[in-house]
Amino acid sequence: MITLTHYLLASALLFAIGVVGVLTRRNVLMILLCIELMFNAANLAFVAYARALGDTGGQIIVFFIIAVAAAEVTVGLAITILLSRQFKTLNADEVSFLKW
Amino acid sequence: MPWGLLAPELGLCLWILVMLLADLAPATRKPQLSWLALGGIGFTAVLLAWQQPLWARGESFQSMLAVTHFSGLYKCFFTATAAVVVIMTRQFQRHLPAHLGAFYMLLFTALLGTFVLASMRDLLMLFLGLELLTFSLYIMAAYLKAEAKSIEAGMKYLILGSVSSGFLVYGIALLYGFAGGTSFTQVQNAFTYALTVPATAYAGMVLVLAGLGFKIAASPFNLWVPDVYEGAPTPVVALLSVGSKMAGAMALLQLLTGIFAPIAAFWMPLLAALSVATLLYGNLGALAQTNIKRLLGYSSIGHAGYLLMGLSTGSVAGAEAVTYYLLAYLFSTLAVFLVVIAASDAVGGDALEDYRGLSQRSGFLAAVMFLGLLSLAGVPPLAGFVGKLLVLLATVESGRLWLVAVGAVNVAIALYYYLLIVKRMYLDAPRQTQPIAVPAATRVTLYVLVLGILVVGIWQAPFLRWISAIR
Repeated sequence: MITLTHYLLASALLFAIGVVGVLTRRNVLMILLCIELMFNAANLAFVAYARALGDTGGQIIVFFIIAVAAAEVTVGLAITILLSRQFKTLNADEVSFLKW
Repeated sequence: MPWGLLAPELGLCLWILVMLLADLAPATRKPQLSWLALGGIGFTAVLLAWQQPLWARGESFQSMLAVTHFSGLYKCFFTATAAVVVIMTRQFQRHLPAHLGAFYMLLFTALLGTFVLASMRDLLMLFLGLELLTFSLYIMAAYLKAEAKSIEAGMKYLILGSVSSGFLVYGIALLYGFAGGTSFTQVQNAFTYALTVPATAYAGMVLVLAGLGFKIAASPFNLWVPDVYEGAPTPVVALLSVGSKMAGAMALLQLLTGIFAPIAAFWMPLLAALSVATLLYGNLGALAQTNIKRLLGYSSIGHAGYLLMGLSTGSVAGAEAVTYYLLAYLFSTLAVFLVVIAASDAVGGDALEDYRGLSQRSGFLAAVMFLGLLSLAGVPPLAGFVGKLLVLLATVESGRLWLVAVGAVNVAIALYYYLLIVKRMYLDAPRQTQPIAVPAATRVTLYVLVLGILVVGIWQAPFLRWISAIR
């Protein structure tokens, strides 16, 4: 039987994959995708908790998060297009005019 | 009449549309967008003043947003910041792409985000307000489309900002699972009455603090600060430095004195340690800088350290000190950034060396910069001094004397690098001696900011009374 703990573990795993991906991937698009994974991990946790608590509030919050994540990707892709036009690359290591 | 509670927010929504549509007007009949934006900010200020009698009643809007003294006070701070940013944009205009309506619109959406944050009574509002503010700033940071530096700044800010939002939203999910709801009352009750607080709730709290730590540029979430400050357009940097940091500190203040108050023993040492790391990182990093915007970036990290120090006391005195510190920081930082914008074209760049002999080219700009920097460093009788003093006093009361010592040492380090700029302005010979013209709008704004620095520093009583009304 699949319990709340299973869902939460899956969500924690998704979140961890997202964080590790952001840290190790060098392609800007892959980094944006990994950030999406982090948001979706939170969505999964919200839905699992909402189900366990018998409360619809958590499911409604998921809609807000999906909308915000979509907006974030829109802005992210727009800046990515500017970036690829300017630098002719999507590799985050080559985009470093400013020193870290 | 619940709509009255939302009047300033609705006014902002209206002006977001006005700014967007005004840009579409034919070139011959186009209004001066900067004055239109300033009009919108004046309109918001009028609505805030009209709403003022409601603050004392502290009414809430469906338990999502509430109008209190605290929110009203901070909304005034944010409105003042936005007004100065409009003047800065006006001065900076010729570097920006032609259609400025969208730029001002983004300023208004950022302001709306801070208003939502000021009134929040629910973790969902925390998330939405913060995202509204940061999304506007992502676009504004990358606004100089033809400049590689600006695009890079926007990209770095977007990636690190989104990661921190991911932390925040996952933290909110964990808190929701613990409390069974996202309203502040529910979460606070859950923390107060829980027999044992589970590890997931602690993890949720740490993740939410991490998300907000990014906003105020606390260590270790401040890697983006120097790059974004150097690359983004200067008015946006000022907005980031004042508006965004103030929003983050205010949200932390609301959460720590509200929903996280029952587990204060857990987060107080955590914030004290972060405060030391942030202070040292910011102030030691600033010593090596050669670009004024980068240096101000590092110095803003140092100021985040003092804010964290005030927050780590967890006391009422600490909360009031943080608010006073932010008020002083607002005037001083905006004055310094406005001088940087007014001087950068004439002196030929943002390098520290470009400021050599500024006093001989414009005594006025050099004097304002001098006052602003001294206030940031915390020299009496200027505003920054009172802010720092209150923060240090609150920390003494809380009994962390070692933290006070670190704070005092950092005042000295900061004073050193601020005075190096002053030395360049006053003692070094300029490369050329042509005087710098300062437009009237900029000049008047600088006078107002200097007045603010002096009044908040010398005549503290009314401000202290005003701030203590928030409890």
